[in-house]
Parts: sequence; structure tokens; C-alpha cells
Amino acid sequence: MAHQWGMVIDLDKCTGCEACVVACHAENNIATVGEDQAGRGRAKHWIRVERYYEGEFPDVKTKFMPVLCQQCDAAPCEPVCPTFASYHTSEGLNGQVYNRCIGTRYCANACPYNVRFFNFYNPVWEKPLHLQLNPDVSVREVGVMEKCTFCVQRIKAGEIQAAAEKRDVKDGEIQPACVQSCPTTAMVFGDLSDPHSQVSRLARSNRATKLLGELGTLPKVTYLQKDSWHGAEDA
Amino acid sequence: MERRDFLKISALGGATAALEGCGNPDHQLIRFVPEEDLVPGLATWKPSICTLCPAGCGLIVRVMQGEAEVVRHGQLGLLKMGLAKKLEGNPAHPINQGKLCPRGQGGLQVTYHPDRIKNPLQRTGPRGSGQFQEITWDEALKQLVSQLSPLQANKSGQLAFVTSPLHGLRKNIVGNFTASFKNAQVVEFALFDGGVIRAANSASFGVNAPPTVNLSQSNYVISFGADFLGTWNSPVAQSIGYGQMRQGRPGQRGKFVQVEPRISQTGATADEWIPAQPGTEGIFALSLAHVILREKLRPATAAGHAGSLIEGWSQGLPDYAPEKIETQIGVPAATIARIAREVAGHEPAVALIGDAATAQTNGLFNALAVNALNALLGSVGKPGGIQFGPAWTPQVAKSASSESEKSVAHSVQKLAEQIHSAPDAVKVLLVYNANPVFATPATWQVREAFEKVPFIASFGSFVDETSALADLILPDSSPLESWLDDAPISGSAKTVASLAPPAMNPLHNTRSMPDVLLDVAHQLGGDPAKALPWKTYDEALKAAFAALYKEQGTRSAKDADEFWTKAQDQGGWWSAEEKGIVPSGGKAGGAPAKSAAPEFDGAPGEFSFHFLPFASQLFYDGSLAHLPWMQEAPDPLSTVMWGTWVEINTQTAAKLGIQQGDLLEVASQHGKLQAPALVTPGIAPDVVAMPVGQGHENFTRYASSRGANPISILASMTVGNTSSLAWAATRVKVSPVGRGTMVLFGGSMSEAPPELRHR
Repeated sequence: MAHQWGMVIDLDKCTGCEACVVACHAENNIATVGEDQAGRGRAKHWIRVERYYEGEFPDVKTKFMPVLCQQCDAAPCEPVCPTFASYHTSEGLNGQVYNRCIGTRYCANACPYNVRFFNFYNPVWEKPLHLQLNPDVSVREVGVMEKCTFCVQRIKAGEIQAAAEKRDVKDGEIQPACVQSCPTTAMVFGDLSDPHSQVSRLARSNRATKLLGELGTLPKVTYLQKDSWHGAEDA
Repeated sequence: MERRDFLKISALGGATAALEGCGNPDHQLIRFVPEEDLVPGLATWKPSICTLCPAGCGLIVRVMQGEAEVVRHGQLGLLKMGLAKKLEGNPAHPINQGKLCPRGQGGLQVTYHPDRIKNPLQRTGPRGSGQFQEITWDEALKQLVSQLSPLQANKSGQLAFVTSPLHGLRKNIVGNFTASFKNAQVVEFALFDGGVIRAANSASFGVNAPPTVNLSQSNYVISFGADFLGTWNSPVAQSIGYGQMRQGRPGQRGKFVQVEPRISQTGATADEWIPAQPGTEGIFALSLAHVILREKLRPATAAGHAGSLIEGWSQGLPDYAPEKIETQIGVPAATIARIAREVAGHEPAVALIGDAATAQTNGLFNALAVNALNALLGSVGKPGGIQFGPAWTPQVAKSASSESEKSVAHSVQKLAEQIHSAPDAVKVLLVYNANPVFATPATWQVREAFEKVPFIASFGSFVDETSALADLILPDSSPLESWLDDAPISGSAKTVASLAPPAMNPLHNTRSMPDVLLDVAHQLGGDPAKALPWKTYDEALKAAFAALYKEQGTRSAKDADEFWTKAQDQGGWWSAEEKGIVPSGGKAGGAPAKSAAPEFDGAPGEFSFHFLPFASQLFYDGSLAHLPWMQEAPDPLSTVMWGTWVEINTQTAAKLGIQQGDLLEVASQHGKLQAPALVTPGIAPDVVAMPVGQGHENFTRYASSRGANPISILASMTVGNTSSLAWAATRVKVSPVGRGTMVLFGGSMSEAPPELRHR
């Protein structure tokens, strides 16, 4: 059976540190756009940390939530694409074929999670910043939509390595850049088709929720809600 | 000359000859000379060390072959070479165990920054103008030697070496070099220097070091201002433990309480936020201790020496009853009593203190009070509490450096005073990895002092506010291009000696600072040459690791050579066991610490707000503002990109008619600045806060003239009984002066409420 890649993000562990955000930029050749373009909403962050305040001073609760492409099984971005640039891969990813994309941006309009980013310009790396580019990830040019791939280059490399060694991919062997860097291990990645994988076990937690699950998008990212302290009673 | 170098040079010569007629020297091709350990298309992982903050995390660097436009022997060409492509945490390293923070992730851009200094520079324009001309290393070293040798001859000293706090062998080399000049001084400088905590731990526990905090076994954490998940002490190590504390033990989840007047990134994850008044952290801790003693949850004697340092401890701290001091702290007595019962009832519990709580004028008292609370809770020297790991001290060149330790007592503030009072006090100033002109209050007049120094040489990789004043810049290679070692003093209860060879060859005509010092010492001859007998830094490192092998490593390798090779492979050597130092109880004698009220600069009537600068999660102390990844990553709380802001409480802003994005003028008695308002419920009504990091006048194309620098307007106040800047002790007044601009990532999402959108 094909792998079904999924992720669990434990909001009780997330500290909003942004390591995932910078790790993603470094891994996926995401170009910075500068202050002016960022002000027009054109900054590209395949993963972002959302911050919520609840209440007024002094009773304020704060919550962080990393949001990335949810790799939906019923993805609103896919059927709207006239060129099949957005498509569903056999391993359950919401693929994006850059050289099919003609930049209609229908997918970005359809996505309820705001995780698709359009290239309004050709990306610029002022020399020698271009030397940091990861040769495993294609650079997107003007007119093309881009988004989180679950680090598909790492998934492919892991699968090829496992196949060469005539074995299955080991649980935890493949880690997207955000998961690998996360200091608190709030993010866990793995195969949802294996009921014993860590990601499957965590996704069955009673704290598990889906982001905008009521839309019926069937996301493959599961959020474990913030826990509370149970210790006061036994004090 | 090595065979490889010879091949490169002859290849270059051949290519030049062949392409001479082509007319476009920019595209000359250096013939393919592969680095022997690289296969095109295949990645190799090499160990390295993160040097961007004092935590000392271990790295692994993904190196792949690529083509770089480089100048070699005066010729521009295209060279196939190993290039660092990605940084990850070193999974084997005891500090960060494979994890990395956003700053560490961004470290790659230091190496590839377009504004790196590519050749030694000599100043041509007036100081600070940024006008330099490129010179050769031979000329540069000749200049430095000619400036230094008179100091050596007349033995009158007059050399000052300003550096970031150093660890490992670098500290010995710099110390030894400086100590070989009579009366010369090493001045370690960092804005967030941890000096107050070290002083407090030295008094309470006899250990002059910041604590190692492993939260994985803690059941209760109360932190007084310490941003321990973001920027304080060893944030990655602490975050790893924090994740374990939260969800690593089935059915057992520790509670975390954060006491601070503004919700920091760390405070945002707390179960409970308590906005105590600035400077009352110490009496808050003692109030908790009072309740614990009053309700006989622990005996007063449990605190031992750390308790005896606090006046009134043995009497049960009667002055700190919650009912007596609740209005002073601004927290109801019932809350204090409840927290006290909770913290005493959930072993192992730990209290942390750092950042603004130790940057008040009474910061040392605050830290001593929290130390006493920890001792009372029985949390000292135990997992889940605070521990002290035995740090590695390189045994090479140690004797001379311990002498130079004495001179380290000086601070940049004192150095500036010295120069102002006697312009001859410093003839030659060396600067390494520190930017005191940016990170000190304008009232210290560091810039004016440095301008009076006859000769300044900087080892900077970038032109910044301090290196712009230099007469000579000897550009350091980037960390990934250098031999590195480190001796982290906290983050693990193991002894850690990190080591890494260069992950790649230098892109530019740069040299590693210790190599330059060794070269200069050799050229000077005499005492410096005797003190530093090694030709290169890796030679010295090999000697240091041979000593470490004799001392510690005989079980892990068959001889010193194997030990050295293995350490290079895995990124260093660390002890197998966690051998925490048993706190010895500190120095006896001395009067017990009395509660000291915090002092603030500026009358409360006119200057109605406490001004709270805070370490930026992305720029740290401002030294990383030049990295575009850091500029474009949204701040965790404000989501601001490429800019700065002033945080102000929602209700206060409404009262003053201030709206999100209004430009505010923030004025202390010593200066003023302007920045846009960020209206938030997560800050006390009488506090305004601002991130440190922006406001560089001169720090590459990405950071120059962007935002404002909160440090510049601070009052010159120090933490009592230390030389650390009390950077949280200034009061300011705030007035709206128009509309500002602020780029919020949160504001660019279509669901965001309109008031959050970018204007």
C-alpha cells in the first residue's frame, strides 16, 4: 500500500519559536521579498506561526499554532486548477507541478488555509546568497504558485534509499525540515497508513482536532489541542 | 604548498592563458579541481558549531559541490568547491540533540552574505564614513605589527582587546596574546551577558556559571522574566526539556508560571501569566518562600547557605508576607499564597530568573532571592531543578590566560571612561565579534571614546557601527569556514568540548581570527611569540585535545591521535556521564542581602512608562539583523517583518487615543526614538516594550537605517554590585506623532481583522 504522509502538531509543546519557519526557507529555496513586497502581502512562508490572544489584561491567554499546507484528502485547491498543476499524488500529497502552472491563482482562492503563495516576480538572491540554494528543490519563477510540499525531496530521497536497501521506510526516518528542527518535538511526521507509526498513534489522541475540519477538506495534519494543568486537585 | 593548492594555481594560470582572448574576465573558468571528499550531486554532512549565541549548539552541515564565483590570487573565476547548503542540529551533541532554533537555522546566510568583507581593508575616509580600500594580507599584518611592536618595546601596555565573551581555546589564545603586553586588557562585551546570574550563583552556590536547566523531569516551573524558550541561556536545550515536561510523560504534565510585565515568547506558552511590577521579582520569590516557611511546607534550614544570604531568612522572612507587599508587587496576596502551595507541592519544582528581572538596579538581589527559593525547594543540583555542569577548560596556554583573567574585570563602560579621561590610555584597540557602539547607551559615549583611540583594528566580517571606526579591518572567516571549538558552560550536565574543522573553504580572502593572532605574535617575536608558539589554530587545538585525552578521554580512544580524529568526526568530545558540580555553598561571610527597591531613571510623573527592551527572537542582541531570513521571518508575537515596533497595552492606548500603527515618540531623559505602536493586551498598562535588534545605522544593505535602537536611549545605570547594564531601569514618556508603517505577516492573511492589515 502506498504511504499516506501525515503530520501531528502538538500545540501544548509548540513555543512559537519560528525555527520551523526559517528551516523551511533554508530547505525549500523560498526567496525573501523585502519590506515593500512583504507589505503587499507577498511574503512567502510555506509554514507560519499564528498567534492568538484571548482575554484582556491581566487575564490573557496566548496560543501559538503553526499552519502549513494541510495536504487535504479532499483538497479544494485541486479541482479548480484548469491545467492540473495542482493534483493529488498517490501518496496523498497535494502536489504542485510548477511547469504546468499558468498562474490563474484559482487554487489560492479556493484554499481555506491561506498556504499558497504566488510569485509576482522572479525571485532574487543577491550574490553570493544564491550559493545557499538547495539543488534538490526547484526554484520557482514568476507567474507560478508555490506551497508546502511536506519536503517531497526528502520523502523521495528516503524512499529511494529504503528501496535500494530492499526494506520499508522506517518510522521517523523521513523528516521534513520543520519537523527536524523543532526544538520541543511539537511536530511529528510519518506514514498514516501504518497504524503503529508514531504519527498515527498521536493522531488518535483525545486532544486531536483538524483545522477547519468542518469544511470537509480531510486534512492530513492533525493538531493536538493545548492541554491544561491537572495538578491543582492533588496539591 | 599542498598538492591541491599547486594544482589550483596552475589550473588557474592555464585557464587564464587560454581565455585571454575572450575579453570577458568575469566569466573565466577555473578548471575543474574537485575536493577529494566530494562526489557531484551527493551531500556530505560535516560537523560544526553554532556561534551565534553563547549556548554553543552542535551543528551538522550539508555540504555539496557547487560553483562559486570567487577571487583566487587576484583572479575572478568560477570554482567548483564544497558549499554549505543547510544547517541542522547535531543529533549526537548533548546540548541541542539534533534540534536548532531559528537563528541557528539562519546561520548559513552569514557565510553567503553579499555584504561580507572580502579582503583586508584600510580606512581612507574619516572615521565612521565607511570609506575603505582593499589591501593585501601582507600589508594588513605589517600595519598591525608596526602598531603593536612599539607597545611591546616600551612595555607600557596600552592595548585593549574588546571581544564577545569567549569560551574554549579562543579565550586562552586571546587572553595569552593580550597578557603578553604589559597592562593590556581584555574587555568582554555582550549586551545580554549573564553576569548578574553568574555573580548570584557564585555567592549562593559557589559556582560562577549560569545554571543548566533540564526541565524534562520538572513538575512545576516558575520563571521570573527568563525568556528560556527563546533567547535566554541555552534555549534549545531548555526547549527540549520543556517539550518533555509538557507531553513527554503520560498522565504527568508540569505546570509553568511566568512572572513578567510583558508576555514574552516564552511567557506566551505559560499556563499562568503574572504581570508583577518591574523590579519586584526578588520580593515576589521571597514572598513565596515566606508562605512555604509559614505553612511549614519546608524548614528554613533546607535553603542552607543560599538562604542565609537573605536578611530575615531564619526568622521566616516576616517582611515578605504576601499581605504586606501585594500592592508593591501588584499581585493579590491570595495568588501569591496559592502559587507558593502549588510550587511546594509539586516536586521537582524549579524557579528561573533572567533577562529583565536581572537587568534592574536590584537585579542581583532578585537573583539571590530566586536562588534561595530554589534551595528551599530542594531543587539545586538535581535533575528537574538547576544543575551546574563541569565545563571544559582547555589546559593549553592556561597559566598565562589565568593571569589575564584579572584584567577581564573591566567593562566597556569603564574602558570608555578611561579613554575619555586620558586619551593615551589606549593606543591600540582590537575588536572581535562585538559591536559596543550599537549595543550600549548613547550616554556611555563609546563611539566618542573609540574615535579618540589612535589605532583600531577590527576582525569584523561586516562593516557595522563599531568596525566602521576601524583603521584596519582583518576580516574573519565565517564560522563554517573556520576551525571551531567551544566549551559550553550550561545546557548539559556533561562536560562538553565541541570541535569542528572548517565545513568549507573560505569563499573570500579572509582569515580566521586566531590564525591571524598567532601569525602576528610570531612576527612580533618576544613575549607574544613565546606565549603562542603554534603556527596555526588547529595545531593549538590539537595540543588542547591531546591534553584533554590525557585528562579525560583515555577510555574513549586508544591514543591522542585517534581521540583527535574521532572528536573531529562527531563534533567534539563529551563525557559519558552527567557529572554535576555539587554546589559548595559559596563564600561565607558578608552581610546578608537586604531587600533593595529598584531604582528607575526618570520621574514617574513626567516619564509615566517603564521602558522594557527585550531580546529579539530573530535578531538576538541585534547581531543578526543583517540576515534577510531573520528580517523576513515574522516575529512570533507581533508578526512584524522588516521593522520594529513599540508594544503598548490596549486600554492605555485607548486612553491616549493611540491606534495600531500610529507613530510614537518614545523619550527618556537621555534620548528619543520613533517607532510604530503595536497595541496588545499582553503588557502591563504602565509598561512599553521594544525589541532589540533594529535601528542599525550601518550594518549591511538589509539592516541599515531600519527601525530604531532602544538601547541608545537608555540611562547609564548598572545592576548593583556588578558592571552589567541595568537595561530595564529606564522610564520614558510616549506621545503619538503621526502615522507609521508596520508590516505584519498576520495582517496580510485575508481572514485577519482589518485593524491588523498592513497600512
